[in-house]
Amino acid sequence: MSSFTKAAQQWATFARSWYLIDAKMQPPGKIATMCAIRLQGKHKPIYHALSDCGDHVVVMNTRHIAFSGNKWEQKVYSSHTGYPGGFKQMTAAQLHQKDPTAIIKLAVYGMLPRNLSRRTMMQRLQLFPDDVIPEEILNNLTEELPQPRNVPRRLNEYTQEEIEAFPSLWTPPEDFKMK
Amino acid sequence: MTSRGTPSRFLKSVLQNGVGRYVCQIKRISLVFSKDAQTSLGAREFIEDKVVDFAKQNPGIVVYVTPQRCRIPKIIAEYLNGTVKEEPINSKTSEEITQLIKKLSSQSGLEVIRIRKPIHTDSPSIQGQWHPFTNRPPSLRVHRGQLPNNQTEPQPTTSTC
Repeated sequence: MSSFTKAAQQWATFARSWYLIDAKMQPPGKIATMCAIRLQGKHKPIYHALSDCGDHVVVMNTRHIAFSGNKWEQKVYSSHTGYPGGFKQMTAAQLHQKDPTAIIKLAVYGMLPRNLSRRTMMQRLQLFPDDVIPEEILNNLTEELPQPRNVPRRLNEYTQEEIEAFPSLWTPPEDFKMK
Repeated sequence: MTSRGTPSRFLKSVLQNGVGRYVCQIKRISLVFSKDAQTSLGAREFIEDKVVDFAKQNPGIVVYVTPQRCRIPKIIAEYLNGTVKEEPINSKTSEEITQLIKKLSSQSGLEVIRIRKPIHTDSPSIQGQWHPFTNRPPSLRVHRGQLPNNQTEPQPTTSTC
């Protein structure tokens, strides 16, 4: 790389990459922190707030995100239309029903710095509810980020052999009644 | 004027002068003065007393002394990178002219404007400047489908240069 001209070296160092994140069965907050870090460019050693060094992030399967706890029913998203009596509140489940990308979008928006660059960074975030991604964006992707949460396997995803091979302390007799 | 409105340059030396041997950057000093005018008095005194010593002490500088009919006497300094600097020595004393000539002979021909950074290096990076693909193993590339279970990921090899 030392044989490159100064202009070519600068172009290489400040190049913008495209990252892919699969949000299937992932907590939206953790996805949003990963997005926010990369949109600002904080994962780069050349980071500076003024040098516009953020990258593009593409999030797919936002429809299949997984809140922990009872947040689908308890987390409330509020907004106001500006008109009197226009205060609207929606649970996370209702908002997700209306727009499957809104939860991650709002989470990332709240994690970015509150300055004028925030809108530009949000423009570089692409959200897709399913894994259907347009061809142009697919061709740009350079790296897939590892998922933040290890998705546990469901019981019906284990084979019968694995279930039988699992160590058990005792087997209940035929006529045993669980209280 | 603010520093944004005035010209500025980066710190540099002419052809890395001083890294090997030092080459005196001034080529030629021409003293243009008048034989009779009052304003050239200092110039004439300087020429009587000090110019020969100066020329002997700096054998690399060519000194021209040209008496002409001129309104203002001048020192014209020419440098190796082509810049020509004209300084009027109008009504200056001999000591002031010696100081001025000393200053001019120790300058290089680069412009005297604001220097943006007081540092310069020709080798800004030893291990190679960072780019997005340093420390990015190819195993992180985008797999659109799942890898088949039997296939193992090719391990990233450490490269020796």
